[in-house]
Amino acid sequence: MDIKVLGSNCPNCQRLEKLVRNVIVEMEIEATLTKVTDFQDIMAYKVMFTPGLVINEQLVSAGRIPSKAEVTTWLVNALAAEEA
Amino acid sequence: MSIGAYIVTMLQSGASSLASYLAAHVLLCLVPAFFIAGAMTALIPKEAITRYLGRDASPWISYPMAAAGGFVLAVCSCTILPLFASIYAQGAGLGPAITFLFVGPAINILAVSYTGVAIGMDIAIARIVLSIAFGVGIGLIMAFIYRRDDQAHNKASTENGMFSAGASIKRASVIFLLLLLAGLIVGTLAVPLLQDTYAHITLPLGDTARWQANLDWLVPHDSSQGQEGVSVQGVLLILQLVLIGVTAWVGLNDIDEGFNTWSWVALVLIALTLLVAALKFTPTPDGLVIGITGRFIGEVFVLGATAVVAWKWLDEYEVQEWLWETWRFVKQIFPLLIVGVFIAGMVRVIIPPGLIESLAGKNTVGANLIGVLFGVFMYFPTLVEVPIANMFLGLGMHRGPLLAYLMADPELSIQSILITAKIIGQKKTWVYVGWVTLFSTLAGLLYGAWVDGVSAWLLLLGLGSVLTMLVLVLWLIGQRFHRAAAPTGMVLHSPELDAEEPLAGE
Repeated sequence: MDIKVLGSNCPNCQRLEKLVRNVIVEMEIEATLTKVTDFQDIMAYKVMFTPGLVINEQLVSAGRIPSKAEVTTWLVNALAAEEA
Repeated sequence: MSIGAYIVTMLQSGASSLASYLAAHVLLCLVPAFFIAGAMTALIPKEAITRYLGRDASPWISYPMAAAGGFVLAVCSCTILPLFASIYAQGAGLGPAITFLFVGPAINILAVSYTGVAIGMDIAIARIVLSIAFGVGIGLIMAFIYRRDDQAHNKASTENGMFSAGASIKRASVIFLLLLLAGLIVGTLAVPLLQDTYAHITLPLGDTARWQANLDWLVPHDSSQGQEGVSVQGVLLILQLVLIGVTAWVGLNDIDEGFNTWSWVALVLIALTLLVAALKFTPTPDGLVIGITGRFIGEVFVLGATAVVAWKWLDEYEVQEWLWETWRFVKQIFPLLIVGVFIAGMVRVIIPPGLIESLAGKNTVGANLIGVLFGVFMYFPTLVEVPIANMFLGLGMHRGPLLAYLMADPELSIQSILITAKIIGQKKTWVYVGWVTLFSTLAGLLYGAWVDGVSAWLLLLGLGSVLTMLVLVLWLIGQRFHRAAAPTGMVLHSPELDAEEPLAGE
């Protein structure tokens, strides 16, 4: 699975990265987590406010830190979509 | 005076400013303001505002929403430039984006409440009214000058769909925000009902009047210059603030992962500090007399209601996010503010008496322009412009040029001009800077004239005619908007529409 956190050094972007990393470890899934920091690259996802979260090239949230439960749900859904 | 004594005087002046900054009335304003700022960031989905800012939105909606967005989204001027960049890059018209850029720093909740308490409600209200009027004005003018470019920009960004995303605000969040706002009002409004004391308790602590005399000796102050010195209550509040700082650091830093014991300790301490700040302390030789004020009773009710609403109606995660955003703002702004206040206090001693008065003591065009230019060339971080302005007021600046300075400082600084130029281009930026200079000077002149006793009706008439002209421009742009839409018979949100128009700007 390919997961991207959009956003440079804002505190909330770092928190989101940490949160996603924790969920990945807890769920024991195989995923690559990359951080997109370039303004132009972030804009390519049509994100207005950082931090943004992209799972398999699909933007799932922007402008806030989602809750752990939300992130878990998205990852479970993405896993199901991959298997289907 | 020897250099050593001079340094001591400077340090004392700095300490005195800091002490009055941490005094009860400022705490009652800033603490709720930080919590409101946090709640707005955490509980209001940004799309609820930005979806009205698209280039295809009617100007009747997009300009007022841009101004309102300045209040809700840009809760501190530190966030304004990134927000402006993303709003503009995602396809908002230049006009609404500029309005947002201009209005945001002036009417954000932290700046307004702090200005009101530290300098005066009259200046705070003048700042809100004039920034909104002139912010919309500058936005319209920029949109009008660069209407061709805007079409090109619109074509380039119509692919982006963020503006159409729907989002709404939960009703519980609205009630919660109103309650926090009530806390701010109860804490700061200067009406007898809140200021009167309804009961007294005397704590037998011995000769507390001596304590106050000792504090006055440590931190001498001059009431005629608006300095306040340190009160016994102030010392207690500063101690509480230090405790809050420590407990919040361990309690709120990881609040998004759940509450721990220290989170609760920090929250209880914050509530207690607000309540202590609302009391009235009178040191007497027989002990400390504590007056139960209307403010105290009001705060008890508001804090109770806030806790109940947060507990019953908000999700646990929403509360966590609210506390995290609040704490993030405090960490970002509070240290800068303390340093800024201290330095402003020290500088007050260095500036030769009479200098400010001779430069900007009267409400003239030159004086207002000096206020604006000082705002442009000096860069102060968020909110620090307020203690600086207060210092100028103490040194004899007229309230007109003071407002001109307060309007220009957060909007324009060398740094923000350079960043804005990167986003919208050099030429547009300097045109914008020109308009801001002009309008800030005008705002200072108008307000200064009102302070000097020129009939409010005459000024309203002048302001009214300026506004009428603006409405006329708005109407003209609206007409153009409808004309463009009518012949094709398509819905107003069609992106193809503008592609058919000649793009002369290219």
